[in-house]
Parts: sequence; C-alpha cells; structure tokens
Amino acid sequence: MKEKASKLNLWLKSLSLSLKDFFFRVGVLGKKLFSNYKTILGTSIILLYILVAIFGPLIFPYNQEINMVDKYLMNSWTHPFGTDWLGRDVFRQVIAGAGSVLEIAFFTAAFSVVFGTILGIVAGYLGGWVDKVIMSVANIFLSIPAFPVYLLLAAVIVISSPIQFALVISVFSWAGLCRAIRIQVMSLKERDFLQICLVMRMSKAHIIFKEIMPNVFSYIAINFVTALRNAIMASVGIMLVGLAAYDPTNWGAIINAARTKGLTNVNNIYILLYPLVAIVIFEVATLMVSNGLDETFNPRLKEM
Amino acid sequence: MENDSIVSFKDVSIEYRLKRFTLKAVNHASLEIKRGKITALVGESGSGKTTLASSLINCISEPGRVSAGQVVFHDEGKDIIVNELSPKELRKFRWEKVSMVFQAAQSALNPVSMVREQFYETFDEHGLKMTKEEKEQRCVKLLNYVKLDPERVLNSYPHELSGGMKQRVMIAFALLLRPKVIILDEPTTALDVITQNYIFTLLKKINKDFGISMLLMTHDISVVARFADYVCVMYGGELMEYGSVYQVFDKRAHPYTEGLIQSTPNLIEDIKAMKPIPGMAPNLLDMPKGCVFSPRCPYATDLCRTKAPETTHCEVGFGKCYLYEGTSENGRK
Amino acid sequence: MNPETPLRGEKAIRKKQPSKGWLVVSRFFQKYSYFFAKIGVSLLTLTLTTILLFFLLRLIPGDILEIYALKLQNQQGISYERAYELAKQLLNFDPSENVFLAFFHYVGGLFRGQLGNSYLETNVSANSLIATRLPWTLFVSTVALIISFLLGTTIGCYAAEKRKGFLEKLTSGYVAISGSIPDYLMALLLVIVFAYTLNWFPAQGNYDSFSVEPGFNFPFFGSVIYYSFLPILAYALVQTGTWILQMRGSTIGVLGEDFILAARARGLSDRTIRRKYLRRNALLPLVTMFGVSFGNLFGGATLMESIFNYPGIGLEISSRIVNKDYMVVQGLIFFSAAMVILVNLIVDMIYPLIDPRVRKN
Repeated sequence: MKEKASKLNLWLKSLSLSLKDFFFRVGVLGKKLFSNYKTILGTSIILLYILVAIFGPLIFPYNQEINMVDKYLMNSWTHPFGTDWLGRDVFRQVIAGAGSVLEIAFFTAAFSVVFGTILGIVAGYLGGWVDKVIMSVANIFLSIPAFPVYLLLAAVIVISSPIQFALVISVFSWAGLCRAIRIQVMSLKERDFLQICLVMRMSKAHIIFKEIMPNVFSYIAINFVTALRNAIMASVGIMLVGLAAYDPTNWGAIINAARTKGLTNVNNIYILLYPLVAIVIFEVATLMVSNGLDETFNPRLKEM
Repeated sequence: MENDSIVSFKDVSIEYRLKRFTLKAVNHASLEIKRGKITALVGESGSGKTTLASSLINCISEPGRVSAGQVVFHDEGKDIIVNELSPKELRKFRWEKVSMVFQAAQSALNPVSMVREQFYETFDEHGLKMTKEEKEQRCVKLLNYVKLDPERVLNSYPHELSGGMKQRVMIAFALLLRPKVIILDEPTTALDVITQNYIFTLLKKINKDFGISMLLMTHDISVVARFADYVCVMYGGELMEYGSVYQVFDKRAHPYTEGLIQSTPNLIEDIKAMKPIPGMAPNLLDMPKGCVFSPRCPYATDLCRTKAPETTHCEVGFGKCYLYEGTSENGRK
Repeated sequence: MNPETPLRGEKAIRKKQPSKGWLVVSRFFQKYSYFFAKIGVSLLTLTLTTILLFFLLRLIPGDILEIYALKLQNQQGISYERAYELAKQLLNFDPSENVFLAFFHYVGGLFRGQLGNSYLETNVSANSLIATRLPWTLFVSTVALIISFLLGTTIGCYAAEKRKGFLEKLTSGYVAISGSIPDYLMALLLVIVFAYTLNWFPAQGNYDSFSVEPGFNFPFFGSVIYYSFLPILAYALVQTGTWILQMRGSTIGVLGEDFILAARARGLSDRTIRRKYLRRNALLPLVTMFGVSFGNLFGGATLMESIFNYPGIGLEISSRIVNKDYMVVQGLIFFSAAMVILVNLIVDMIYPLIDPRVRKN
C-alpha cells in the first residue's frame, strides 16, 4: 500500500516536472520560430485572413438578395469589388467565403498531419511487416494521380460540409508526410540516445513524446503549412469542375460561377480576379512561412 | 629575397569577411619556403595552416581574402605576386607552378567523369596541345611512378578507388604539369599507418628525383620528424616558430612546440612522460590579448598576457616568444 | 571484386570458393537485385491500385444499371427486364454477383485489354478514348515540361552562382509567386488577358475545326500550334518556377563540394567547371524528378484542359465523372496510374546509367 502511494507521488511529481519542462520548451521554441522575418510576415498574413474569416461577415454581412438593377457595377466605395451578374456585392461574397476556404484548408491539414504522423511513427518505430504494409499503401497514394481520384470521390460522395471535403483531400496528402516521418524515426532509432532510453526502461509513450516528437516537429510544422497550400489548390480545383458546390461564397465557387457565366458575358470574367488574388496572397503567405520555418530548422540554408 | 627560397609569404594576413563579423584566420605571417626542401607547417585544427597554404594558389575557401601582405613566388628570374594576379594569369599559374594535394582526396575528383577524362581535361585547359597518345603516355608514366595500375585507374570512376589509391592518384595528378611546388594538406589523415608511411616515402622520393619543393601541412609531429627538412609551427593564425627540423625538435625553444612534442607518445620514454597541452584552441572570434598562446602556456607571465611578443629572427630561423629575447643562435636563453 | 594493386609487404589473401553452380545463380540475382526489387515494388503498387479502384467504384450507389437500363429501354424499345440484362452485360457489372468473383472478372478483362466501356455512348471505350485523346494531352504537357525544364535548370544554375544581386531577387520573387498560383488559375489569368481582353489567342479548343482539315498539312499544324500556345504557356510559367528552385538548391549543394574547389585549384576555366562539374552533378537528382514529372503527365491536366476546353484525357475524365460515366473513368484512371508506375519504374532503371556511383560492377 505504502509503495503504491509513494509510486503515485513520484508519478505526479514527474508529471508536473515534465509539464513545466514542456511549457518552457514551448516558450523557447516559439521564440526561435518567430525569429525569422519570413515566418513572422507569413504568419501575420494568415492570422489576418483568419480574423477576416471570423469577424468579416459580422462587419460586412452578405445578403444574397438578387438585385437586378445593380448588375455589373464597377468598383466603387459601396461596392469595392463591383457586383456580379445578379447584382450581388462581390466584396462581401469574398469575405463571406474566407471562412469556408480556411475551414477546408485547416481541417485537411490537420487530418493529413495526424494520419501521416501517426502512421509514420508507427511504421518507423515498429518496422517489420507493419512498416512494409503501411509503406505499400503510402506508395499507392504517391503514385496515382491525385486529382482525378479527388473528382471521382467528390462525385461519389456528394460533398456537403467542409469536413467531408477535408477528408477527401487528405486521402492523398498524408502519404508524403508519412514517408518523411518514417525515415526520420528510423534514423533516430539507430542513434544512441534511443538505445539509452530503452536501457533505462522508459515507457514507450515517454519515448514517443519526449524524444521522438521534438525531432520530427520540424517536418510536421512544415508539412502542415504545405498541406494548407495544397488543400486550397485542390479544393478550388474541385470546385472549378462544379463538384462541391455546397457553399456559393467559397472562392472556388465564385471563380467557377464567374467562369461559366463568363462564356456568355465577358463582364463576368473580371469578377473572378478578386478571389483569385486572395487565394494567391494566401498561398504566398504560406510559402513564406514554410520557407521561414525551413530556414529556422536548417540554418545552413540561410546565407551567412 | 634570396635565391634559395622559392616562396615568400610577406606579412600576410587573411580574413574571412562574414555578414556580421570578420574572422582573422592568419595574422601577419612571414615565412620563406626553401627551394627543393620539404617544409612542414604544423598546428592544431583551426590554426590557419590550410588557409595560409591555400593562399599560395589563391584558392582560399569563400569568403576568405588576403587582406594584407604579399604572397611571392620566386620563379626563374622573376617574382610573381600571387595575390595580385589577374584571373587569367592565375589560372595559368595554378597547377603549372604550384599544385596541391587536398586533404579529403575522397571528394576531390568529379564523381561523374572518369579519371582519364579529368587528367586529359587538365592538359587541355592549360593550353597544352598534345596528341591523345602523348597525353596517355604521360598519364601512364606518372601512374606507374606512384605504383598504380594505369589501365585500371584511368578507366575508373573516383568512387571505385580505395582511399590509398585515390591519394596516390591525386599525387600523380599534382605532378601532371611538372610544378615547382606541391602543397600537401594533411595527405594521410584518413589513411592507415602503413599506407601513410608508403605515401610519405613516395613523397620523399618525388622530392629527391624531381627537386620539387613541398609545403606539408599536418598536425602529426611524428610525421614531421621523419620526413620534413624544415618545420614551422603555427597557432591561432600566427607563426610561432620556424627552423630546421633538427634544430626545432632538439631545442624545443617555443613553449607550444615543447608542448606538442610532449603530447606525442614516445617509444623510448615512459608513457607517463606524455603530457597533453591543457585548454583548447583559441576561439578565432575572441582572441586573447597579448600572446595568442598565453592562456595555455606554462611559462606565461603577465607581460605575455598583455602584449604580444615580436618575432625574433636569428640565422637559422625565427620564434615568437619572450623567451627568445636575449638569445644566441641556439635559441633559448 | 578487383584486387587493389598490392603495396610492398602485402599479400593477396585467398578466399574459399563455394561451388560454381550456386555462384552463378546467386551472382545473377545479386547483380540484378536492384532491378528485381524495383520491379517487384511496382507490381505490388499496381496490384493494390487496381484493388483500390475497383472497390471504390463499387461503393457508388448502384443506380447506374437502372439508369442505363432505362436508357436502353427507351432507345431500343425493349422491356425493362431485357434492358436490365443487356445493361449488365454491356457494363460488365452484376450487383448480385459475388464481389470477389466480380473482381476476378474485372482483372481478367484487364488482361485482355478491356479497360471499361462508356454507357453514355456506344462504341466508346476507355481504349478508344485513350487513343484519340492521349496524344493531345501529351503534346501540350510534354512540350511545356521540356521548355520549363530547360529554362528552369539554366536559370537555376546561374541563380545559384550569383548569390546576390537584382537577378537573384527577381528570380526568388518569380519562384514564390508562380509556385503559389495553381496551374489552372494561371490558365484562367492568361485566358482573361490574352484571349478575352487582347484577343491575341483563342480561348478554347485544340484547332480551328471550321477552316482546317486534320491531317499532315501545314495549315493544320499551324492551327494546332496557335491553339496550343496558351495552354503550353500556362503550364510552362507555373512549372519553370519549380525547376528553378530545385536546380538552384541542387547547384548550391554541389558548389559546396570539395571537387569544385579542387577543380578551381587546377586552373580550370569557369566555363568548364560550370559545364562539366556543376551542371552534371547538380542535374543528377533532377533527372529523377523529370522522369517522375513526365509520368504525372498521364494523370492528365484535368483542370487546365477543362478551362481551355482542350480535348485531352483530363477533360474526358472530368466531364465523364460529372456525367456519371464511371466505368470508363475507372479505366482511364487505371491507365493513368499504370503509366505513372511504369514511368517511375523506367526512371529507376535508367538512373544507374546516368549516375556512375549507383552502378554495381
């Protein structure tokens, strides 16, 4: 009985210590991550987008009324981006769509990172036939051209929510991260300090969280940002074919509508420029964050 | 200066200009390399010996620059100031007058082309119009000289050769255009002792047969003792001592030299007599005031720590230590 | 293993030789083990892909048969039951059949070269679509790939050498932006600017079907090139950035290598060093990437073709998916995947020819 009590005590103590250590490490990490100007700039742009997505519709609410009088208005103070073929304000459409786009992007990135990391660590750490199976599956998803399958899935599962959308896209994007993490874990396994941990009989969970994770964190972070980019590119692409039209304010949907309508009336085409530029700016921001993180983790890339 | 030096380093300073600071790798080094002799440049890693030697062919790794002084090559009749050569002249100078055998022979050859192609290429690039047979003959002769099978080596890619073979290929390569001086940057660090001995015997033979002067860089004192004629000791980017091998090793005038020799295992003396030098090599960004060696010197005085000593020249060499002052030709007071 | 030239004092050590027959066989497998392993992996991936695609299609709610049956019924004026039977035959799809049996039938069909038939139009199968559409896709994609590769590697090589300066900033900026615009959006932009606004180039189609007859005649070729200009441009603009980036990274890596310094020490000219030392070594990893990119071309530039209404495989896939013509789509996707796997395999096999370090003697 007494043994159990003291064991519990020890365990609590080590837990609190590791929590303190964790927060300390997070602090140090945060400072390190944001020392690079690219990361700072990119992240601020992304944060800006998030803010717009959350608060935009509150400040500039979008009503879907059809107003045939104000068709095809040029840019003005009341309609900064003009109006579309049904007289609706494009500016507010773009703002309303921001949330939709970001939701899809973040969900996809989250799913693919979670799947990829777990499977990668499992494959790398356990090795043997588990590894071979996981790698064969990952190989398929790296070989098949992704986009046609996205379309197929999107057609089969009529997409009606961002989570469904995210699941579809992450079917392919987890594979790359999985492979990278597996290689990293396997090389870590060889290195001495893991052997030492095993000798000291630390629990498997402890090994995974405290020793392996910090080393793969760089891959995860960069891959998350890259997944954001790919998610947007893929989702907009899918919408351009007309397959996931559950939210007409989503930028991809706006572009698609403008394009199809544009075949008949040239004025429509210019509408798609606004969401297009919004997409491109977001992509550039993610690219900057990705490059900045890369430079932070691989200082060799930076010029001396 | 005199006819019997082939290279003179005149008060050479070399620095690396980086974004945030400037690193002084070599500090006012003056040295004469005697014609036809093997001069060894000894020092720890980071002492600046590679930097100094590569300035002889102006091949210092980026972003190094010779910031002061002159590197003079005494050719027959005229003197060539190496660090002032134009790029075109420099290209001609390299390998024709001075060649170099690099430390990592492992990666000094182009991995995607055959050895033969690289040999031929050097002939062509230096404007030597030779027929294919002449080129082949020359290569075969050189490879035979270093005791390699020419047929096999010329047809191979670099990764197919072993370490010892590659080093010998590099030596043959260095002899290709019959230079007057060969720089050897730690030629045997990665090799086993038997091969090491073999390589040095070969080098000694080259020196005797062709009269080529050699500048040998190493941190292995025992090698110096066996093969070099003159030795120069370098520390923290400064030249500490210079003289003939017999003299320097016998007298051990400079404390650093003494320390180096003490830290080498000796066949005759007891193992307990072996004493490593305490401390670590200086951080080139944070040089100690005064004498560079003072933090680790067992004889250091306050004067040593505040003011760097001047170089004391004597007939047979020079030294940089306060202990030299008031000396006769023999060195220590 | 060739023995090293013996040094003085060394003697060659003789090893005990195993029996000759076993030696020959094991040497054969060892020598080509690299190849066998790669082929094995490719076959495995192909098999798994087939399984995946097959079962994916089965997940679709099974009203295809009904629709098709109804269509046949209307077309041929037969009873619904007969139409249903006919439909099952034509589509090779029997929902009451055991799934695994159906899979075997499918695979059997694959071996016989049947990739799938369209149910919208008779006489149209995946094979016929591939034959007519694939050349167009390959034409545009391959030309664009080659252009962007050549341009990108050249620029990348120079950008790596000159680390600072205006050109470098410009290149970085271009790479950042072109990498952030998806290819179809670039296509849209080009269409807006050049086709709609300036009217310099046609916005749709692959040749002017009104005034030109297809065949080996000059006007036809001219028209084809004219119509393919914008698609190729769109592709090339986006892809060049990637190649610049990769080549720059690779060249920077090579620049730090010892043999470059050694080559300079030998007095070799900058031109020679750039040509034989930098380029050759920096291109090595890029060759693999080129091969992989080529393989991906078969996936079809689905969206690009959709925007330009360019009749290639990509457009077929996307339009038929929207029209629920799934059987053909399955065949087309299978074909693309198989091509990707095949091209990757070929690239892996060819690589030792290019990089002497990977060759086994």
